[in-house]
Amino acid sequence: MMPLLTKSPGRRKGAPHRTTGSRILATSAIAMSVATFAAAPSASATVKNASSVTTITWWASPISTSGPDLRKVLITDFEKAYPNIKVNLQTAPTDTDTNRADLVTTISGGATTPDVFMGDVIWPGQFGAHSLALSLTKVMPKSFFSRFASGLVAGATYNGQVYGAPFFQDQGFLYYRTDLLKAAGMAVPKTWQQLQTDAVTLVKANKVKYGFVWEGDAYEGGTCDFMEYYADTGGQVLNSTDSASVLNVADVTKVLTFMRGLVTSGASPQAVDTFQEPEAAAAFQDGDAAFIRNWDYQYAAAQAKGSDVIGKVGVAPLPTFAGGEPYPGYSNIGGWNLYINPHSKNVSADTTFINYMTGTAAETVMATQFSEIPTNAAVRANPAVARLNPPFAVLAKTRLVPRPAQNPNYPKISQAIYTNMNSALAGSTSPSKAASDMASQLSAALGSSGL
Amino acid sequence: MLAPTEIAPGPPATLPGAGPPRVSHEDLIRRNLARLGWAFSAPALIVIAAFTIFPILFSIIVSFEKVNVSGSGFSFSGLTASNYSIVIKAALWHHALWFTTVYTVVTVLSEIVLGTLFALVLERLTAGRGPMMALLLIPWSLITVVSAELWGYIYNASYGLLEGIFPNVLGHPFSATIALMVADIWKTTPFVTIIVLAGLVMIPTELFEASEVDGAGGWKTFWRVTLPLLRPTLGIAVLFRVLQAFGLFDLPYVLTTGGPGTSTESLAMLAYNTMFTDLDFGPGTAVATSTALIVLVMSLVFLRVFKAQVGKETPNA
Amino acid sequence: MRNRTRHGWRRWVNWVNFLSLLIALFVLLPMYWLVASSFKTTASVGSSPPQYFPIPVTTSNYQVAFGDYTFGRYILNSVIVACCATTLVLVLGILAGYALGRLPVRGKYPMMVTLLMISVFPQIAVIAPLYLLMRDLGWLNSYEALIFPYTAFNLPFAIWILRNYFLGISMSMEESARVDGAGPVRTLVSVIVPQVKPGIFTAGVFTFTACWTEFLMALSFNIENNFRTVPVGIATFGSQFTVPYGTIFAASVVAVVPIAILVLVFRKSVVSGLTAGAVKG
Repeated sequence: MMPLLTKSPGRRKGAPHRTTGSRILATSAIAMSVATFAAAPSASATVKNASSVTTITWWASPISTSGPDLRKVLITDFEKAYPNIKVNLQTAPTDTDTNRADLVTTISGGATTPDVFMGDVIWPGQFGAHSLALSLTKVMPKSFFSRFASGLVAGATYNGQVYGAPFFQDQGFLYYRTDLLKAAGMAVPKTWQQLQTDAVTLVKANKVKYGFVWEGDAYEGGTCDFMEYYADTGGQVLNSTDSASVLNVADVTKVLTFMRGLVTSGASPQAVDTFQEPEAAAAFQDGDAAFIRNWDYQYAAAQAKGSDVIGKVGVAPLPTFAGGEPYPGYSNIGGWNLYINPHSKNVSADTTFINYMTGTAAETVMATQFSEIPTNAAVRANPAVARLNPPFAVLAKTRLVPRPAQNPNYPKISQAIYTNMNSALAGSTSPSKAASDMASQLSAALGSSGL
Repeated sequence: MLAPTEIAPGPPATLPGAGPPRVSHEDLIRRNLARLGWAFSAPALIVIAAFTIFPILFSIIVSFEKVNVSGSGFSFSGLTASNYSIVIKAALWHHALWFTTVYTVVTVLSEIVLGTLFALVLERLTAGRGPMMALLLIPWSLITVVSAELWGYIYNASYGLLEGIFPNVLGHPFSATIALMVADIWKTTPFVTIIVLAGLVMIPTELFEASEVDGAGGWKTFWRVTLPLLRPTLGIAVLFRVLQAFGLFDLPYVLTTGGPGTSTESLAMLAYNTMFTDLDFGPGTAVATSTALIVLVMSLVFLRVFKAQVGKETPNA
Repeated sequence: MRNRTRHGWRRWVNWVNFLSLLIALFVLLPMYWLVASSFKTTASVGSSPPQYFPIPVTTSNYQVAFGDYTFGRYILNSVIVACCATTLVLVLGILAGYALGRLPVRGKYPMMVTLLMISVFPQIAVIAPLYLLMRDLGWLNSYEALIFPYTAFNLPFAIWILRNYFLGISMSMEESARVDGAGPVRTLVSVIVPQVKPGIFTAGVFTFTACWTEFLMALSFNIENNFRTVPVGIATFGSQFTVPYGTIFAASVVAVVPIAILVLVFRKSVVSGLTAGAVKG
């Protein structure tokens, strides 16, 4: 009753079972081998031909949001200065974690491209420990490192070796609505407590929907904000060798209590515990917030077309705690470094590229045309630069605090910080419990690898 | 109707007029068919084996090693079960397991119920079934990341659609979980609808007419006739939905980043973060393989319960 | 199709149509938000309270997506990869599904369970070893780097689905084909396959969609711009502190078009399959 084969007219006695199945098998085998041969080594990167033009690949996520592309502008300038080096740009994912995952997969797989990659400032510890970046101390002259503003090179160091060349820097500022403060007769707050009072006053007087917005979500940006408050109490996270936690639970409790207080007093909306930069910036640019803590791009964004607060924005250093560190409060260091792929075949071209990108010419372009904070100390010291825009003017008056990224387990350290901070901010845990949880999870993160 | 059988050795020569035993002839046919079956299946199996066996075995091995990933690749130092003990003791893993299980149960249940209802409605649609099917496919065809961004935009605390009604949906573990589920159900119910619809239309009309002749109303027909016939189809839909739901990754990765805190971190997200953010490939792979094991056990139990006797199934008469 | 002609006003106003309308709304409301937002300016995307209608209307998001981001190239790559993988999956899957459903193959149960095990394994764990495999094959940054893994990982589900539909066909099919003197392949192709058109359509659409939306492998294997697919392309939109919803939605509106075309093209054969399938009882 099953389909019978014997009577089909096409078959002769004794004919082999050359069924369609085996024909398909043969075809797919051939197809696969053809595909394999056809997939000659792909066209990416390093080509050295007779006229010795070297091509290097630069992996970088988009930097500028509108207008000309900063990366392409700098590449054009570089190729003009060094005609025998061509730079091939590969756009990286904008999410920094996706970016890192991609790099880890390719570099651990032995890929020789990208040659140079732009990476987060918090990567040197992790990438250094796992040999995912080439040590710049080994390939750059000592004099190279002296061009950077103080503190930046230390942040790119792991185990005595420098892995990243600071490319452009970022940090937190306090932006405020000049019109609202003027109308209320308020000065720019110099302490967090004063900021809270001012924010509450403005909200209660119905002058503005939210008083103070910032980034309180459980993500890397939350750690940035936290570090600013915490440094203002004088606290530190890791010891000088970045091997053990020196987290001061009492200070952390103070910080978390204050953060939660911002919400309960009405200075900040409860929703601030899900705010990242886009949400906070949108609230400020829609005119719904009196104060915002944000990176240096906020000023240009607030002045851009479509913003409701054009011409009403002022910039100041962040406040500090009354009874804590003296004014100005600490700003967390952000920004991006340039790293070299340890498998790169064009190390000398890479170093030339990095040398140019962190040199005065390129850094001046970044500062003047794209409002990125330069890492080159000479460019920063140039008085003309300070006049370019208000954040730059405030730059010299600020104090910087890095995140504790010198330890290779930094992602878990950061997670311990931001999850507990967020939990206290949301009111799910009390500030003191969140603080002690943070301390214990921090110690666990520094120990053997766990989950 | 013909009685369903596969080829079995023919009856012994006891039937009148049966003549000499026909066992060898039928055996030959059966063997030919079996060989044909292998030939037909081989290409698919070869492709699958070529691209999945090595990676899966590699991952399983990695989960049993102390592994360090570096610029020179994976370096192994000693077989050990410590990755698994780390995983089992970790509170993060317990929570991820709990969250993923609850999430799977609720979403799959909702999608099956909703999907079957939709399919029942669409099956009765006289005109416009085609356009409705096309319409249903739209959420399903959206790239998961885009769908997550869309719902992220709807739920956004600063400029989302729900700002007036539910401000800060993503700020509390419970509402964030519900938000994820709604986004998932919206996107995936079409999947179930189409599977069930295709199964529904393959049910012969005589069965429905017979039931109507017997005087059964719509509801009774559904329970007694439709549902039992739909069982294999629904079984597959549930099985694969459960598999997919357990591997939940894109939605929480984009919508909540596992937050608030780590309350919506699924097992797959935990594995991913452990591997690619913390660069702990040993424990991370252990999370992934233990997830696979759990799902495998679940599906085997499910197949049993659903009485889908895979090997013994035969075509309908 | 059951005889359900309604007469008079019940032709239009009946509970089936009403429920269908509700279903349509369920699907369409978020989609409207997506499409409408793709025409909003950057400022109105982030406005609070939200603007329900994109006023002022702008097509700048589409221009940015296709101009600055070479989105057209990504769509082409995705189409190529998804079409090839889906074709392979359907051809191989029909053969294997038929064999495992209706032919007396030994060891069906272990095979189906193994297939299940494979589709169960989280793709996240296999990315790194698959990358090494692709590297050793020299397939990085190519179409085959995605086509073959997609085929391999989508086949189990396709085989399960197709096999299920094959099992639903009456035995008499092969019987009458044999009587007519057709060989096994002809039987399969001309007689059996048309019976399972709904199943083929289902497996095809799911495979295509899975390939179209796959992100992790595409991100890891095809880094070069020339070979990037749509999901990876979208991940490069914007910058560190901006999520350009308008551009993302504009790109995804366009990315839905191939699938819509697919459904419209196959709708004809499916509708005939859906209507004819129930008749041959």
